[in-house]
Amino acid sequence: MKQAFDELEVGQAIEGPRFAVTRVTIREFCEASLDYNPLHLDDEFMQGRFGKTEFGGVIMHGMTNFGLITRMLTDWLYPRGGVHRRLETRWLNPVRPGDSIQPRGVVTAKQATAKGRWVTLHIEVCNQRGEQVARGEAMAEFPMA
Amino acid sequence: MEEEFETDFWKDAERRKMWDDIVPGEFRKTIPYVLTLEAIQRYCRAVGEDHPLYFDESYARTTRYNGLIAPPSIHILLMFACTPVDDWMRSPGTINAGQSWSYNVPARPSDTISLQARALDKFIKKARLFVVHDNVFFNQHGQVICSGRGWTIRPM
Repeated sequence: MKQAFDELEVGQAIEGPRFAVTRVTIREFCEASLDYNPLHLDDEFMQGRFGKTEFGGVIMHGMTNFGLITRMLTDWLYPRGGVHRRLETRWLNPVRPGDSIQPRGVVTAKQATAKGRWVTLHIEVCNQRGEQVARGEAMAEFPMA
Repeated sequence: MEEEFETDFWKDAERRKMWDDIVPGEFRKTIPYVLTLEAIQRYCRAVGEDHPLYFDESYARTTRYNGLIAPPSIHILLMFACTPVDDWMRSPGTINAGQSWSYNVPARPSDTISLQARALDKFIKKARLFVVHDNVFFNQHGQVICSGRGWTIRPM
């Protein structure tokens, strides 16, 4: 684990698989998360206005981004002995059926503390047009033993 | 429990607190939830998680986790599993603006999960009604699984 931490470099990039969003994947996420908000299911409801925002149709759960980012991080960390410790994200743009999205991360800092070794990563999720739909920051620990 | 889950979020809409009713600092009602392997794996499949730590018991026993675990983001499911039908997180039109979570020990199949949750803050910004909520999930041993904070835009 020490070796894996030592070998990490600021600027190192990681990426997760691209995810194709459909009404079926959104429905599956409803069933898996128990989040049945009509934002994700009801096109008629989504013709309305939400304050200043008009979506015009159903949108993907923002937390799907969160799940895809987590998958990218843990798939990268597990074989290196790292532990996913923190993820903070903001949703910037809605994701709709027909979009495809992909998470990416870049190591921005390494920090040794009294009892741990930590890595900070900048995180983003972009759609097929290269637009950011989510952005945030993650932290991982590489335990001493 | 999952068979009893109400999937029509309109049904109890009138019973849920609006932005005006939400008191920062006030705890939300929560309910314990037994996390099944089936629920973990259903969640995994929905986000393409296929790591053997979530599917292969014999492999998982050889790792530092010494058995199957749930992915850290399982709190996405737990948020709705551990709250009742009149919880304001279910209000149709609730928009998730962002979240921040810290992870301690993993959740495991057969864990009984409990939640401490409350509204922490509310404010108006650019004509939108925001509520900040904070949440801590525990296992049956009293260990913190994860803690997090979320920002939602409330329906008018």
